[in-house]
Amino acid sequence: MKSLRVTLGLLLALCLLLGAGSALAADTIKITAQQPITGRFAFAGKHINQGLADSLAWANEQGGVDGIKVEYIYEDTGYDLKRAVAAFKKMMAKYSPVMDYGESTGQGKALSPEINSRYHVVYGSTSFSQELADRAKNPYIFVSGPTYAQQFGILLKYIAANPKTKGKKPTVAFFHSDTEFGRDPIPFAREMAKKLGVEVVAEEVTAVGAVDVTSQLLDLKRHNPDYCIFQGYVVPPIPAIIRGAKDFGLKTTFMGTFWTMSNMLLDKLGADGEGYMGVMPYAYWYHTEVPMIKIIQDFNKRHHPDVAYRPNSYMQGWFTGMVFVKLAKMCKAKGLPITGPNLKDMIPQVKDWDTQGFAGMVSFKSSNATAVGKVYVGKGGKFVPASDWIYLD
Amino acid sequence: MRIGDFKQSYAADEAVFRSGTVRVWLALLFAALAVFPFLAGPYLLYMADLTGVAIVAAVGLNILIGAAGQISLGHAAFVGIGAYTSAILTTRLGLPFLVCLPLSGLSAAFFGVIVGAPSMRMKGLYLCIATLAAQVIFDFIFVHWTPVTGGIRGINVPPPDIFGLKLDTEFKFYFVTVPIVILAVSAARNLFRTRVGRAFIAIRDRDISAELMGINLFQYKLYAFATSSFFAGVAGCLQVYLLKIVTPEHFPLHESIRYLAMIIVGGLGSVLGSIFGAIFMTMVPEALQSGLALFQGLDDKLMSYLFPLQTVVFGLLIVGFLVFEPHGLAEIWRRIKDYFRLWPFEH
Repeated sequence: MKSLRVTLGLLLALCLLLGAGSALAADTIKITAQQPITGRFAFAGKHINQGLADSLAWANEQGGVDGIKVEYIYEDTGYDLKRAVAAFKKMMAKYSPVMDYGESTGQGKALSPEINSRYHVVYGSTSFSQELADRAKNPYIFVSGPTYAQQFGILLKYIAANPKTKGKKPTVAFFHSDTEFGRDPIPFAREMAKKLGVEVVAEEVTAVGAVDVTSQLLDLKRHNPDYCIFQGYVVPPIPAIIRGAKDFGLKTTFMGTFWTMSNMLLDKLGADGEGYMGVMPYAYWYHTEVPMIKIIQDFNKRHHPDVAYRPNSYMQGWFTGMVFVKLAKMCKAKGLPITGPNLKDMIPQVKDWDTQGFAGMVSFKSSNATAVGKVYVGKGGKFVPASDWIYLD
Repeated sequence: MRIGDFKQSYAADEAVFRSGTVRVWLALLFAALAVFPFLAGPYLLYMADLTGVAIVAAVGLNILIGAAGQISLGHAAFVGIGAYTSAILTTRLGLPFLVCLPLSGLSAAFFGVIVGAPSMRMKGLYLCIATLAAQVIFDFIFVHWTPVTGGIRGINVPPPDIFGLKLDTEFKFYFVTVPIVILAVSAARNLFRTRVGRAFIAIRDRDISAELMGINLFQYKLYAFATSSFFAGVAGCLQVYLLKIVTPEHFPLHESIRYLAMIIVGGLGSVLGSIFGAIFMTMVPEALQSGLALFQGLDDKLMSYLFPLQTVVFGLLIVGFLVFEPHGLAEIWRRIKDYFRLWPFEH
């Protein structure tokens, strides 16, 4: 009986403590997140979460949003839409945040109608989907970088400006997986290529974890494109394709978009990674000449001293954190209360925002995506800039 | 101790609500279900809706596996067929929710009969593999038949409409889910008291003796597949209207295994077990997650170990339950009930 009383007492004390905790934190800007920390997407999710958490913690060190602290609350979803939606609803009810970060394209699509009509929170996510960046349909949702279509646009712009043989139309092949992620930018990319005078000579499609890519390689050999852009993969089957193409004696330059521009892939490619190119919306961890990267490295040295490297998924989280804080600061500067609808109105007003070399000069112009990126090339196991920031809008 | 509870006829023994006590408790349960939405927030209501979907699907699977003894690894595919059917019927033909609901069940039942056809020749593990094939084939169709299923992007579905009332919040949706769950559960409960239900059980217990008794094995196995898929289809329809989107990612193989786990944890062959199993498999991961939330902000490194641990703990809980009570949660429940019913004369 006594032990029961003690337990109950402890529980009560705990409840009071927790209650006091939330009471103290009343004067903050709340940002919630449903992160895929476990499950299929965990390889990126845990870094994205850390990046976002660190970015907001750094912002707080800098004085928050004009003195108001930002509070970051996250939950794991296991990359399961049902759980993600549940976590979203739970967090909306419990914390009434003004901004939220979601785990997938699917979550954004499923929640978009309710975000517009009920929840009114600005919503960022792991997604680079074109559909979500549509401002007319999803005014509250933004993409933390260029959409996949815009990433293709940036690469095609680069290709058009750098033909392999002078005076001849450059040729390109699209090599993509049979998933939403793989197919998302292709229709736009075809149009863009036509506009820029780049000829699309082949489109290869594989399953996502494809092992045998012989038929696609033979087709690639037949068309011998100057450039070949991958979309919708993380690592396999890219090394096999690049090696195979080398064996066939192809001189094709292979390129990737966000997820295929990781150092993880470059490490897997080894010597074949030399000359591998692609588009990245952010700077890499080792680009210490970039002021924001210096800040990130310094922050990590202070808070995570044993961290030697942060992948580009971490940068995605960090940049999203920057956008959240920027929107809140804009609201404040205009003398508006920091609420979801006001924050949403700020998105189209972000113009030529200096990200200290991290993501170029960012504007959300025609869509809720940044439409800017840089082309990098693999050299000595690292990505080095091959172009300046390329703007689409 | 309850006394004076004697049955004087077979009908009384077979009754669904066997005593006044049961009726009182049931009335209390319904009252609680009716009051719940007015007390709970959107999160709990959403979880309740999600659990409702899981219950309908699990009850369906339990009819097939628990009652008729036909193993299926393709249950998620049937839920998927139901979901796609209602998504397509709503977006293309503009059919209302109440029409889509039975049609989703029927279309899933139709495919269930086709998939069940090999059960004439196959049993046990072999049938398991045959239904696995169904899972893979339907998964492939969901992804690749783009003009109809919308391919990998799936189909966005508007909130359902009942007689002009838009069910756009989980609060309103709750009042659709609960009656459907009650209907599904009572249908399943009554099924076991009919000729067909008893035939299922006879087939499960010994197919040869069942055949000797004059049960047409093939016909009744197909009935089992059709019934089970009908439930799955209805669950799929509910799910698609709840999530407002359907993509092939919602019906992978591990979803089929999750349904299987529900009925095994809950109790094979028991309707109550399906309900317990569905609640367990839906709510426990959420409870673990909420438990973890208490530790948030303590230490990043600690969290990076704790997150994957959720899955491990969940797995251990399932194994633990099965080791200590192979007949599932329904059996544990029965023992608890018996304890109170017989108290103070346990033995």
